[in-house]
Amino acid sequence: MSWLFGKSSSSQTDDASLKQTLGFDPKEVTDVHAMIQSPNLYTASQLHPLAGLEKGVEYLDLEDEKLNAVEGSQGIIPSRSWSDDLCYGTGAVYLLGLGLGGAYGLQEGVKNIPANAPPKLKLNTVLNHITKRGPFLGNSAGVLALTYNLIDSSIDAIRDKHDDYNSVAAGALAGALFKSSAGVKPMFYASALMALGAGAWCGIKRAFNSNTEPQALV
Amino acid sequence: MSADHTRDPCPIVILNDFGGAFAMGAIGGCVWHGIKGFRNSPYGERSYGALSAIKARAPVVGGNFGVWGGLFSTFDCAVKAVRKREDPWNAVIAGFFVGGALAIRGGWKHTRNSAITCACLLGVFEGVGMMMQRLQAQPTMAPQYPEEPVQLAA
Repeated sequence: MSWLFGKSSSSQTDDASLKQTLGFDPKEVTDVHAMIQSPNLYTASQLHPLAGLEKGVEYLDLEDEKLNAVEGSQGIIPSRSWSDDLCYGTGAVYLLGLGLGGAYGLQEGVKNIPANAPPKLKLNTVLNHITKRGPFLGNSAGVLALTYNLIDSSIDAIRDKHDDYNSVAAGALAGALFKSSAGVKPMFYASALMALGAGAWCGIKRAFNSNTEPQALV
Repeated sequence: MSADHTRDPCPIVILNDFGGAFAMGAIGGCVWHGIKGFRNSPYGERSYGALSAIKARAPVVGGNFGVWGGLFSTFDCAVKAVRKREDPWNAVIAGFFVGGALAIRGGWKHTRNSAITCACLLGVFEGVGMMMQRLQAQPTMAPQYPEEPVQLAA
């Protein structure tokens, strides 16, 4: 009938197995203080023998998540290498240009809707204006960002570190290269604008980084 | 086991793919249209022709690549979120949607044909990718046993 009423208080649970599961001998323990001070309780191998904790941190495990090692290169999102910077920078700026140009085209198209035309024609007018403005601005911005990131990463690699001067110089060079076939004056203007833009971006990055982690400011 | 850390998690990887595809298209477009502009220009103006062809066309190629890659990544993430699994069918379904979305202004028939073509193309890509993966994997060779001597009939 033991299945119904439970076993009579059998103290046959041998102390050895209890000590094995608990990590200490309950007979020796009188209060918590003695329990904490018992040896071998908090050794790593005792806590979890299979995890291999006594070996310390295994750096092999961290190899997969290696981040960009160039000094001062950590931006808003973690990046693994220059190609990550390139992809994210170009993608973000391209999308931004596409969106801005598309919005401009949208309002232009809405303004230019022909009066008393069928709705299909109206929609087509608006879409035509969007696809005229959006990709143009997006492409130009994307090419600028691509050039900027390529030059920036090259300067980083040469100087072996990243700071704001690198960004501004890369912006100036990218702007100059972008307008290099239009003459000296447009080239100068584009260069100055891009340098300004790069400087503003550095400011944004600094503000963001100091908001999230004040000690990591480089 | 460690997960795949060469690609970022889903919403933000769209930005990465946009930029990567744009960069690929723009740089590839530079090469392509540079050569094309060079060859199609008269002697004496060849380098100028190449330069102006690059200026006019390379950003457009980059933009087309970028929009395709970004849309594909967006749809891929959406399909992953809906199906909650990762397999080659994700790419095929995403390709179907991309092809349809890019051709949607050409009318219903054009949209349908383009979507199916794109899905088939992505299916071929995935198939080839899986084959390459299988080829590159360590081949499991059967061990060579020495041939047993033929038992002579008594």
